[in-house]
Amino acid sequence: MNKGLNRFAILVACATFFLIIAGALVTSNDAGLATEDWPLSNGQFFPEMVGNLFWEHGHRMVATTVGMLTIALLIYILAKEKRQWVRRLGVVALLAVIAQGLLGGLTVKWMLPLPVSTAHATLAQLFFCITVSIAVFTSRSWMEARPLPEDKGTLPLRYLCTTALVTIFLQLIIGATLRHSATWDQHLPTELILAHIGGALAVTVALGSTAMNVLLRYKGHSFLTRPARLALVLLVVQLLLGVAAYLTRLASPNDPQPLNPMISITVAHVACGALVFVTTIVLTLRTYRVLPATGAAMDLAARPQES
Amino acid sequence: MNKQTKVWLVISIALSVVLAAACGGGATNTTNAPANTESAGATAYSGSTGSVTGVISFNGAAPASRKIDTSADPACGQKSPNLTADDIVVKDGKLANTFVYVKEGTVEGGKKITDYAWSTPTTAVNLDQNGCQYKPHVLGVQVNQKLSVTNSDPTQHNVHPTPKLNPEWNQTQANGAPPIEKTFARPEVLIPVKCNQHPWMKAYVGVMRHPFFAVSGEDGTFEIKGLPPGNYTVVAWKEGGANGTEKNMQVTVPANGSAKADFAFGEGATTSLNPSLKMMPALEIPLRH
Repeated sequence: MNKGLNRFAILVACATFFLIIAGALVTSNDAGLATEDWPLSNGQFFPEMVGNLFWEHGHRMVATTVGMLTIALLIYILAKEKRQWVRRLGVVALLAVIAQGLLGGLTVKWMLPLPVSTAHATLAQLFFCITVSIAVFTSRSWMEARPLPEDKGTLPLRYLCTTALVTIFLQLIIGATLRHSATWDQHLPTELILAHIGGALAVTVALGSTAMNVLLRYKGHSFLTRPARLALVLLVVQLLLGVAAYLTRLASPNDPQPLNPMISITVAHVACGALVFVTTIVLTLRTYRVLPATGAAMDLAARPQES
Repeated sequence: MNKQTKVWLVISIALSVVLAAACGGGATNTTNAPANTESAGATAYSGSTGSVTGVISFNGAAPASRKIDTSADPACGQKSPNLTADDIVVKDGKLANTFVYVKEGTVEGGKKITDYAWSTPTTAVNLDQNGCQYKPHVLGVQVNQKLSVTNSDPTQHNVHPTPKLNPEWNQTQANGAPPIEKTFARPEVLIPVKCNQHPWMKAYVGVMRHPFFAVSGEDGTFEIKGLPPGNYTVVAWKEGGANGTEKNMQVTVPANGSAKADFAFGEGATTSLNPSLKMMPALEIPLRH
């Protein structure tokens, strides 16, 4: 285990989280088209950052920094990491950040078409997931984790975690579509709001039951209970932020410009959604790391009856 | 070629395609098809004309003016320290910035007004960015008539119409930059124009096939001149809500005379037949009743 590599991976993950916040600020301020240019802003590397150009060009600067950090991370991984699959993940991270930059350019050049903007927002979450995963894989706790003898539940925990993860990811896609389907001065489409509320219920059930299962089955195993507890707390915060975001967004078309608290609450909702996603990623990866594929009941069913 | 080389080749090609698409632009929703489709053989109208005049009233208390926070761009704050939203301008119960236009109608003699050819003016209509607001807030142009957008502010703007029937465009305009001149090929009532640099800045452009439109002044009055005598549906459009609110009225325009068309918006206004639900192409799709 290389402590420096792990710390650098954590740095890249934190920078990516900051980038997600910067991107959410662009959307909430309706700043995505503050300049017609890409990759330059109004033909300049450093334009005067006034008005909404502050958010759009600021986002590009943070994105450039994250891109550089990702390149450095890949070099660091190739130099220090022996595991072939981690090295490949470093390459995937670089490809993802390049694709993300190109999607950002496309969405500006094509004036925010919904599929491209949604893909840009979704890939941002996936890239965050990759950087967090690299941080997990290079951590001491990952290296030193020892397999637990068996999954104590009837349903294998890794399947529960995977289900929660997929549900959250689908919810993120719906959320991204909802956010990019109308600017602050327009009302959000009702059908997408209902889909997002339905998704919130599904995530609550999937993640709530998964985290509770972890807490009940593996008391004392902080390797699993810590992300489970954090996921539960974040889930509650995210639900409250979701209600607040809906209420402030409902009122924003009557405002003469994007205003707080709508901006800060919608951005916080995006950021907290990202944290729920990556916390579930950590929980899922750790589950796969220490638990067997089958649950206790499945083991029993599969075991031949002793006479 | 081994498997690894093939994988890298595929990835490289995919990235190149995406990069080429990004650099090449390729706006969606674009069309160059001429849409000012004056029917073949349509003739210009020659004969006596009349006019439609009226007043746009606003019933009830006028909405309180809402101050704009210009702190994001000091140049706006310096030029317009007390900037307020310009979406509803009411003075003495009269409503400004209402777009009034002839939607459809029959000229004396039985021909539809759309059966005539209406020439496109050669003069451009100006839309100025002044004090970090679009001036005028509502304006009309004819199909293929030049719209000239200027910037009188000591800061940069970006001009971004978001039509549904015409191609969308977004163009940055620095202080002192030459005017941006554009035309719209299809009738559309009305096209919102925004500035993504300053999100409070909005204007609306009505694109008409004919010249029979007007915008109410601060005293709420308007006049549509040069209309052939006949029976017409006159529509008044006011900003607000998702797509604005429309009210319509039937009028009979006499030769060398004037028809009256007063509209009222606000609380308890009953002139309306119904509010419009969608952006509609002028003279092409009837309002739903």
